[in-house]
Amino acid sequence: MFEMTRGDDGTIRLRGRLDAAQVELHAAEFERIAGSSVLDFSELEYISSAGLGVLFATHRRLTDAGGGLTIVNLRPYIRELFGIAGFDRIFAID
Amino acid sequence: MVDERTFPKALASLDGIFAHLESFYRSELIDARTSLSLSLVVEEIFTNLVRYNTVSRNPIVLRIEREGDQVRLELVDHDVDRFDPSTLPEVNVDAPMAERKPGGLGLHLVRAIVDHISFEYENRVMRIAVVKNLERGHV
Repeated sequence: MFEMTRGDDGTIRLRGRLDAAQVELHAAEFERIAGSSVLDFSELEYISSAGLGVLFATHRRLTDAGGGLTIVNLRPYIRELFGIAGFDRIFAID
Repeated sequence: MVDERTFPKALASLDGIFAHLESFYRSELIDARTSLSLSLVVEEIFTNLVRYNTVSRNPIVLRIEREGDQVRLELVDHDVDRFDPSTLPEVNVDAPMAERKPGGLGLHLVRAIVDHISFEYENRVMRIAVVKNLERGHV
């Protein structure tokens, strides 16, 4: 299961497993992200290349419009995947 | 002992695949970190077969086996055209965002995680096998 919720401070919290099937189910939610947004990964347990791909596409769309994604609270394993994918040099990570 | 299951060739099979893998991890006492890596490897290979081997809709066979300090995974796709993912170009993970191209990232992750990968194609049957050493200290 995977879900995205927006907190009172505007932070978008990702929770669960972002696999290829979940990316298809939640693609429209990623398309609705606008401006400069913060994604909280503290409860994101798993991500595959499909999940990385939708994050990349969202970040590029926002960056082209003057915004972008900042990702916070990555779990160590997912941080390593970001490194393998070269995403640690593309995304702002706190 | 080799555990063999078949799964419909559709992304909707992923939940069932993950549940099956979790059962294997528990029975073989595979640690959480390695479990994440193995699940990622299976997802990447399975979704490639779903997306690119579209000639047939035959179910995909998943075999998983522990041999000492190794886990061996094999996915078998029947009645498909030749598709050798090993011929795909490497992803340039050092490229800036504007120059990054979609595709290939899944196989890049698989190559980084596993210790051995092989592709076989014979009689319209494709087999992708990987080996993961359990003592390896990273993803």
